[in-house]
Amino acid sequence: MLKTPYRHRHQHTVRRQRPRLAAVAAIAATLALTAAGCSGKANDDDAAEGDGGGSELRVGDGVTATTVPLGVLTDMTGVYATLGKSVTQAQQLYFDRFNADGGVCGRTVELTVRDHGYDPQKAVSAYTELEPEVLGFPQFIGSPYVAAVKDRIDGQDKGLVIPQAWSATLLGSENIRQIGATYDVEMINAVDFLVREGAVGKGDRIGHVYFEGDYGENALAGSEYAAEAAGLTVVGKKIKATDQDMTAQVTSLAKAEVSAVLMSAGPRQSASLAGVAAASGLDVPIVGSNPTFAPQLLETAAGPALLKNFHVSTSTLPIGSPEPGPAELAAAYGKEYPGELLDTGVIAGWSAADLFGEALQRACKAKNLTRGGVTEALLSIDSMDTGFGITHDFSDPAEPSTRESLILRPDAEAKGGMVVAEEAFTATAAADYAVGGAEG
Amino acid sequence: MSEPLTAPRRAPRRYALPAAAGAGLLVALALPFYLDRFWLQAGLFAMAAAIGAIGLNLLTGATGQLSLGHAFFLAVGAYGYCALAGGDEEGLTGLGLPTAVAAAGAVLLAGLAGGLLSPIAGRLSGAYLGIATLALIFIGQHLLFNADDLTGGYNGRAVPPLELFGYRFDDSEDVLLNVPFGAAEKLWYVGLALLVAGALFARGVLRGRPGRAMNALRDHRIAAGVMGVPVARLRAGVFVLSSMYAGLAGVLLALVFQRTVPEYFGFVLSLEYLAMIVVGGLGSVAGAVLGAAFVSLLPQVFMRYSESLPLVSATGDGGVAPGEASRYLYGAAVVAVVLFLPGGLARLAPRRRTPEKKEPSDAEDAIQTQTSAHRA
Repeated sequence: MLKTPYRHRHQHTVRRQRPRLAAVAAIAATLALTAAGCSGKANDDDAAEGDGGGSELRVGDGVTATTVPLGVLTDMTGVYATLGKSVTQAQQLYFDRFNADGGVCGRTVELTVRDHGYDPQKAVSAYTELEPEVLGFPQFIGSPYVAAVKDRIDGQDKGLVIPQAWSATLLGSENIRQIGATYDVEMINAVDFLVREGAVGKGDRIGHVYFEGDYGENALAGSEYAAEAAGLTVVGKKIKATDQDMTAQVTSLAKAEVSAVLMSAGPRQSASLAGVAAASGLDVPIVGSNPTFAPQLLETAAGPALLKNFHVSTSTLPIGSPEPGPAELAAAYGKEYPGELLDTGVIAGWSAADLFGEALQRACKAKNLTRGGVTEALLSIDSMDTGFGITHDFSDPAEPSTRESLILRPDAEAKGGMVVAEEAFTATAAADYAVGGAEG
Repeated sequence: MSEPLTAPRRAPRRYALPAAAGAGLLVALALPFYLDRFWLQAGLFAMAAAIGAIGLNLLTGATGQLSLGHAFFLAVGAYGYCALAGGDEEGLTGLGLPTAVAAAGAVLLAGLAGGLLSPIAGRLSGAYLGIATLALIFIGQHLLFNADDLTGGYNGRAVPPLELFGYRFDDSEDVLLNVPFGAAEKLWYVGLALLVAGALFARGVLRGRPGRAMNALRDHRIAAGVMGVPVARLRAGVFVLSSMYAGLAGVLLALVFQRTVPEYFGFVLSLEYLAMIVVGGLGSVAGAVLGAAFVSLLPQVFMRYSESLPLVSATGDGGVAPGEASRYLYGAAVVAVVLFLPGGLARLAPRRRTPEKKEPSDAEDAIQTQTSAHRA
């Protein structure tokens, strides 16, 4: 066990070896020091981008004479794999058309996709990798990772990022912009819908099953605010993303005699909740946040229960809507990706790409195709109708782009499994609500 | 079974390793001048992983105690640093200590957490400790998600940049030899210093009397006990030391991430650390470092370049997606290493025989050493 180092340490001729060691060290040192001067990273006197007093186009941040590079940070192998795939494909579809229509300022948009698999290290690495090369990010899945690089985005990078999340905690940055009402606003509108439908009245209890984390907690903040305004009491049930059987929650909500249930979790939890509630005789309406539904649910055993009691509060028309926006998108998407699922991710991806495309066009018109130019262009968009039922206003970074919600209900016949139950509206309580509360 | 020790033949090897290490260090010192931020960040993740893996290798590789709770101690280090150094912003609790003090405090905190568990760690061996530590991860992650005041909950909390002697290791740009230095470039040197110090310390531990006692404990607990190795105390001590390494790795990770996210410190992370020491080589410092580099760099390299591989289709074309391809490749690489290099990557490097690889015929030696070691 301790043969060599101890017994034989002093038996070798040390002298012969020294020069080799010294030589290696010396060569390495020389290489290191001399070469430092000609590093590719060294600041050269770059040919300064022409700031030709408004007549010439300013470009920068990866934009070349022919392309505008954009980054897509998605999740196609992790927990949001289905969403990530739909969003990415919809965005590719959008920018293919965008390029076919002439692109922006004579340049075509090029997407570089990185799949981080919802892994924090990979997500942050992927952002670090793409950031120096792209003008902005029309997709960034995973609000914790957006939060992780938020200081860099706002500090030095200043590229436009459109996250596929609707938490109010991400509001307040000029560079990180969400499309649609935040989770809290969605829930305020959902409570308003329940009150107007007569499902709940003053003094009633209302259950709210929500994920731990910013999504669920932001939604809960909204439901509690709305409940107080309407004289209701919220019975909150916090669950984890790994909890898939809602029997305990349903039993406890039934015991609390709730008149309706709000849901801010995933599609599996919705199916379990609706199914168990129907089986145990808790026959009350359920309204979910926008990520609570997936068309596949209707084929499960919980399908009939969902058709009877389930609703979703969201900021877009369903993909199966006969309105021109969704109808055209559904047709185009189905043609490009035959057999692929038409879910809410398709609209979310398309809308984000559409917004980014519009911002690029405006930046081009303002002769400033840089990150700063895109951010400025976005702030100038105060009324954008993407054709999905709601008009968005992006002029105030501290505000969600809308306070309106639509209420959808499942329909087995419709494409994407959803139809509109109530057109866009804003609850009185939602209009007065201070979004994000005390969150920074 | 001692092989013939022909001194002249072995001599070049003796200096090959230090020379390579020295040259490697010099190259590492120059890298921030050349690599872009992506690679520096990947390297920093690898360095942090290496520090953590060294700690785990002391515990699992050298002492034979399986720990699945390494991620928990990483989290203690990372969040400990944030809580000690952070201010009261965003409604979070923070002591606002100087960051260097906070970093040291976080390492001690991880050690303390290890110490609290040491009554258990001292009594349980092997797989039983693994099960006991498994609980730590789940308790730990539950706390991280729910102790909002301290951890910031789901979205984590911002990490205050390190400040040493008035110099801030943040993204404010400094220019050195015409090269702009951001957070990654600056932290590179911090990471390198910590890694070298951590590696040298662990090497000292492994080659000294504690190391021999640890190996004896791993190979035959009863024999070690008979020889006078204080079994429970040594196990507990190694557990604390390994927790402190994990704490240090956690601090460095937090500094690189610039935000701590609870999602990260899960079961998978603990398994990754175990993979590192198995792939790299159990029981040695070099093994831990090589394994950490392998496990933390490979997925990133694959992720970055998988698009240019054959058979990998662009996103949405229905073939193997780049993200999937990188996972297959990574899995295949791990299997290949375990299959063809049973001793780990460390076996590839020219190395002198380290004392911890003991042959049966050395038992007499070992017994002598142990008794003399613990007589004093």
